Amino acid sequence: MDITLRHSPTVEVRAALRDLAPVMVGLAPFALLIGVTGVRSGVGGGTGVLSSAVLLGGSAQLTGLTMLAGGAAPLALVAAVTLVNARFLLYAAAIEPSFRDQPRWFRWVGPQFVVDPTYAMVTRRGDLADPGRFRRYWLTAGVGLAAAWVGLTVLGVVLAPVLPDSAALDVAAPAMFLAVLVPQLRARPARAGASAAAVTAVVASPLPDGIGLLCGIAVGVLAATLSDRSPSS
Amino acid sequence: MTSTLILLAAAVATYALRTVLITVVPAHRLPAALRRGLGHLAPAALAALVATAVVGRGGLPVLFVPGPVHAALVALAVAALVAWRTRNPALPVLAAVAVLLCWEVLP
Repeated sequence: MDITLRHSPTVEVRAALRDLAPVMVGLAPFALLIGVTGVRSGVGGGTGVLSSAVLLGGSAQLTGLTMLAGGAAPLALVAAVTLVNARFLLYAAAIEPSFRDQPRWFRWVGPQFVVDPTYAMVTRRGDLADPGRFRRYWLTAGVGLAAAWVGLTVLGVVLAPVLPDSAALDVAAPAMFLAVLVPQLRARPARAGASAAAVTAVVASPLPDGIGLLCGIAVGVLAATLSDRSPSS
Repeated sequence: MTSTLILLAAAVATYALRTVLITVVPAHRLPAALRRGLGHLAPAALAALVATAVVGRGGLPVLFVPGPVHAALVALAVAALVAWRTRNPALPVLAAVAVLLCWEVLP
């Protein structure tokens, strides 16, 4: 009797959609905020939606839209967005092993979906060592995230005239990041890294163009690495 | 039209950031010490993202000024508690938004 268990390719697709659903609940207010900002800042709802489609990174989009509204020079805007998104360089480096044995097309297309939620999603899973599994999971999560992000931005544009001014939308994104972070804090290096990163990011936050964020990340990684080396960790 | 071109230029720069250490110069060619550090990236990046979202560009002093930052801190403290107890990514967000809405509505 053949008892070979065949792995269905839809397993990773279902897993990615299952993981993505609660993440999108958390990101929804942030995406709405992009659409609302596009309309209320005067740059236009279409520009807000375009930023979601091509940039796929909320904080850089808000930076870009705000600078467009303020009439910033094109080079200054591109430089600011690049600095705010510089963490994607680190995310890409961290997940590069999963892209190593992939087809060439995937190595060029897949990185477009490197962003905070997808990075957090794959780092929480331990079952994506197989290149095919990773590819199916990554593409489902990435395309699903991008489609939902753009759709919710459009919704923000539509609802902008009727949505009240509230800080509740602003707190959704950090709460979502916190929801991903908290379960990782069981390990001492993670606690050391997160604490150092948060304190440094707060102190350095007045620096322009997201440099404070990058300083926080760099100090946090250093603190976690040092903590990992100490004998009691 | 100009806005579109500027955004497209920013998108090209962002795509380069996402691609360079995967496709152009794969990260496994980086020094070993740097690769070890990358394993600790997630908690550091998430904590820094949360911190900068709370204080904006106000730095340390805004933490001691009563107002919206304190409301956000309370909302995020509740979110952290919910995240610790439930391990569900959606509930902490809903909890934080609910706390902040209550904060704004209540006198």
